[in-house]
Amino acid sequence: MSLLSTAPRLLVDVAPRSTWKSPWKRVTVIAGMTVTSFWLVVLITLSWWAPYKPLDAVGGRLQAPSWHHLFGTDALSRDVFTRTLYGARQTLPVSVGVIVCAVTIGTVLGSLAGFFGGWIESVVMRLVDVTLAFPPIFLAMAVAAALGPGLQNAFFAMVIVWWPIYARLIRGQVQAVKHRDHIQAAVSIGATRWRILRKHVLPLSFTPALINATLDLGQVVILTATLSFLGLGAKPPSPEWGAMITDGAQFFYQWWVAVAPGIAILTVAMSFNFLGDGLRDALDVRAKR
Amino acid sequence: MPFLLLGIVTIAFCISRLIPADPLASIVGVRQMANPTIVAAARQKWGLNGSILEQYWVFLKNLVRGDLGISFRTRKPVTHDLLDRLPATLELAVGALVVGGVGGVALGAYAASKKDKMADHLSRGFSLLGSSLPVFWIGLVFLFVLYARLGWFPGPGRLPPRTKPPGHVTGFYTIDSLLDGNFTLFRQCLWRLVLPCFVLGWAYMGQLSRLVRAAMLDEINSDYVRTARAKGLAERLVMRRHVLRNAWLPTLTILGFSFAQLLTASVLTETIFQWNGIGSYAVQSANTLDFPGINGVSLFAGLAFLLANLATDVLYAVADPKIRLA
Amino acid sequence: MRRHVEGRNWSKVVAFIAVGAIIVASCGSSKKSATTAAPTGTGSQSTTAPSGTTAPSGTTAPAGTNAPSGGAHELVIDRDMDINSLDISASYCDTCQIFNTAVYETLITVDPADPNKLLPRLATSWQANTDNTVFTFKLDPAAKFADGSQVEAKDVKFSWQRLGNLKGSASYLMAGMKSIDDSDPTTVVITFDAPNSAFLPIVAASYLGIINSDVATAQGATDAADAATADKAGDWFLAHSAGSGPYQLESYTQGDKLVLTRNDKYWGAKKPAFPRVTIAEVKDSSSQLQQLQSGDADISMQISVDAVGQLQGNADVTTKIVDSYNYVYIALSPGAAGGEKLQDVTVRKAIKEAIDYDGAIQALVAGKGKKQASPIPNGFIGSAGLPLPEYNLDDAKKLLSAAGLADGFELDATYPDANVYGVDFNLMMQKIQQDLAKVKINLKLTPIQFTDWITRINAKGIPVTAVYFAPDHTDTSQYIQYFGLIPNSFWAGSAGGGAAGKPMDNPKESDLLKQALGSSGDAKAKAYTDAGQQMIDDEIIIPIVNTQLVLASRTNITGMHYSACCNLDLGLLGLAG
Repeated sequence: MSLLSTAPRLLVDVAPRSTWKSPWKRVTVIAGMTVTSFWLVVLITLSWWAPYKPLDAVGGRLQAPSWHHLFGTDALSRDVFTRTLYGARQTLPVSVGVIVCAVTIGTVLGSLAGFFGGWIESVVMRLVDVTLAFPPIFLAMAVAAALGPGLQNAFFAMVIVWWPIYARLIRGQVQAVKHRDHIQAAVSIGATRWRILRKHVLPLSFTPALINATLDLGQVVILTATLSFLGLGAKPPSPEWGAMITDGAQFFYQWWVAVAPGIAILTVAMSFNFLGDGLRDALDVRAKR
Repeated sequence: MPFLLLGIVTIAFCISRLIPADPLASIVGVRQMANPTIVAAARQKWGLNGSILEQYWVFLKNLVRGDLGISFRTRKPVTHDLLDRLPATLELAVGALVVGGVGGVALGAYAASKKDKMADHLSRGFSLLGSSLPVFWIGLVFLFVLYARLGWFPGPGRLPPRTKPPGHVTGFYTIDSLLDGNFTLFRQCLWRLVLPCFVLGWAYMGQLSRLVRAAMLDEINSDYVRTARAKGLAERLVMRRHVLRNAWLPTLTILGFSFAQLLTASVLTETIFQWNGIGSYAVQSANTLDFPGINGVSLFAGLAFLLANLATDVLYAVADPKIRLA
Repeated sequence: MRRHVEGRNWSKVVAFIAVGAIIVASCGSSKKSATTAAPTGTGSQSTTAPSGTTAPSGTTAPAGTNAPSGGAHELVIDRDMDINSLDISASYCDTCQIFNTAVYETLITVDPADPNKLLPRLATSWQANTDNTVFTFKLDPAAKFADGSQVEAKDVKFSWQRLGNLKGSASYLMAGMKSIDDSDPTTVVITFDAPNSAFLPIVAASYLGIINSDVATAQGATDAADAATADKAGDWFLAHSAGSGPYQLESYTQGDKLVLTRNDKYWGAKKPAFPRVTIAEVKDSSSQLQQLQSGDADISMQISVDAVGQLQGNADVTTKIVDSYNYVYIALSPGAAGGEKLQDVTVRKAIKEAIDYDGAIQALVAGKGKKQASPIPNGFIGSAGLPLPEYNLDDAKKLLSAAGLADGFELDATYPDANVYGVDFNLMMQKIQQDLAKVKINLKLTPIQFTDWITRINAKGIPVTAVYFAPDHTDTSQYIQYFGLIPNSFWAGSAGGGAAGKPMDNPKESDLLKQALGSSGDAKAKAYTDAGQQMIDDEIIIPIVNTQLVLASRTNITGMHYSACCNLDLGLLGLAG
């Protein structure tokens, strides 16, 4: 759930490495990879094989699932299955984009704060504190409302919500790393601060960020859908999963309209969670505390 | 801390004024928006005349006196509105915390004790499911299946229809009905809390159980537990005396924190389950651009966040023998 | 999360306890103020205040599910409420019509079975002079307010003048009023500047209900010309009422419920059947349906046509689908920024012909609706005989090529994110987008909040938008006043580009409205029909569907109806057996 997005950071610190021998790990990582690649393949090749077009009226109105329409049709006679598949094209790029932007901004600001300290640190960290004190969903709602509906604006809203998490994470890592011997050694042989930051500190700090990013991807997928559900995300007629669930909520007894997009969100979020867990074990991260 | 609160209300203030719509539109209505005299009078009445800086200054001055202003929408003081709706949200959040807390610890401990067995996998799968589900969707699914189709659970709302709320003492229907000695109503109110609390608490349960499981495994592998085992202590005793006792520290770290987030996560749950709490107040305020309402909710959320953090720190200090309060 | 092992923790403990104490203190004080303020009634800030009056259930009937007091059934109505005010003179909403009608009374009312037939209520008789400028009403001497005082001409004068002077959304109903004579307590004489043959139906509008002027004045209400700023009674009306209707306001909790109690001293012949009526805020159609099925609600007002099938075979529930006067439409604004292509009337006509109305009605309301010719809804005087809109793709294409736009163009369509009268605007606009794509017009859809929508339509207008309308009263004049291209009409201004543009004008419509207001009978009907045709030719307002209404109630509820003036008159409802 997106609203607890700050919590996974604790997991990185505490969770023990479980070994690859664990059957749970093997199964989940394989499942995560399979589902993720499924959606990736769908995303890329969909236009060639999709049963219908996502915006076309096909068949009758609000038809129950059948062989022709695996998940039925919606009120405008569009094939729900096709629309759900196309929904990946809306959600996945946006989610990846949000995480990439948030990690980039967070890394830059966080490492500056951690490495240089002083007023840079206080400014950045105050900003981080205030943003984090805002419940993520409120902040995203407010920003999206101020910018107007649209997936693009939802994108900005989510970056604003997510960057402080990475800024705080990276700052902590940089602070922890910068006193290590090999970095002190680099300082003593006269390397510039920029060089040290780039060559020595960041690579070490980046691993936890990567793990978190994978775990967070699922949360961003959910938040994207949430904003659309609240009417602040994708505009009609685009087949966005959250917006499709809103449509489906109105046709409560025609339950199929909302089922497929919900399952889509679930599989994507779950597989990113699996992958994040697996990545953590593979990269063998242990916080020193 | 005051800085943080000031930051929060300032951001809330700025964002609400950035929204490219005029709150007067919902105050005077579509027919009179084109009437300059009416619009000017309403602007005056609701304190929307003057520059943004002036409005901000007035807002801060009132805030210091504890006055959050009159809601444009309900036409009542925002503090009154918030206090009125707080019990509903607290009831939901506490319930979710109980579901998530108890469920999370139990599931995590159980999974750790059955490490790598089928039960472990199932409980981990169940908790992972919780953090991968969109709340608004699973809420709808539950309502459709468990309420509309199977009738196992009551529908949305805090009270059964046709039922009067219990006498107002705390505003918590569960507590008030007990105070009234009305056990039927108590059971009904409690029963109605189950679905929304579970929907809200599931994600939290998932995260907590992962944490607890990890912490317990850490402890199980620690030297003193191995020593205890070597001494020949019964496995159950080892678990209870050593492992569980030390494993609940990380649980604490996430507890207070999650409570604040549950309070605000209730936005979606309240919308789906027609819960007249602060979450739905926030959505309605945002939709009608009720500036005082938006600021009030933001301040509330910030305050909840800070209090929860403080509470966590305090609890932690009390619980962790390694930390001494100076 | 880093732990502070140093001495900062104590300061946090102290801070935590202090803040906690403040919160506890503030909760405590607010609770105290609520309980002390409630019984006195005046100035109480709590909507749920009358806990004092409802107390019996809490103390004497511990069963909780309220044992109906006096053995009588309490009515529960499920509704998604849109209340903007409970002050009748400032109110303007569909739920307000129900509330106003239950709590206040108008001088005349409309026969639910025949919207063009007027029935006496507070007035026993009424008459207009020959040129429809002076109207005289004889009040029923038996008519009493809930506090027992007589309904007099001064109350009528106060209520109507206050309605006009508060400058709320419904104030337009009193436009053109010159004076009201209340010298005889049982006779009201109202004079207009110009002929106003619409006034008798307007008197039946729920917003013209009569307030007990003595009670209201004591609470700071005023009917003076500066009432818009000087009136202080708005808050009082949130928790109190001062009418003569069969029910009285007990309490209102925004987002939760509106509770009415029986007016035990109701003067009218049909005594109120229920000791208490609760209108519960239940937003979605499915919950409304569930509660009706289980008997938790007696009436559910917004069950969608797609859900109605679920009730089939349930003998405890009666459903009926009836015609309504509500409709949803799209509006084209040539003067709006970005609407330049619409300045050519043939382009607007092409858009109208490119819409597949039957398909839309099927998609939006499962066919439970009708096409509508002009902004005048089916059944209103002036609606008969006008040509219904026709889907004609070929002609639309021809018109567009004649206008040099065969290759299509793009239009901004910003609309309120609403679901009204069972029509979801997102769906409707997607359907229209599909249709217009066939003539290569690309609609860019943007759903926004209603507040935002009002702001935009007033500032610069919106090229293509979607809105809804329900009648305020039963005269056709309201449609010309709102949709016609005449001075001060909402759509003349908005279609012309809002505040930034110049209102559109069709002088023929002004003339026809004047003609209609100065005449009666066939001449009036002819003038309205002609005005309807003019509005069709304007090609500004395109009605999509005149919706039907699902009347759903428990079978033992009698008197279910849909009223053109008042939506649902609670006074007419009863309990069988």
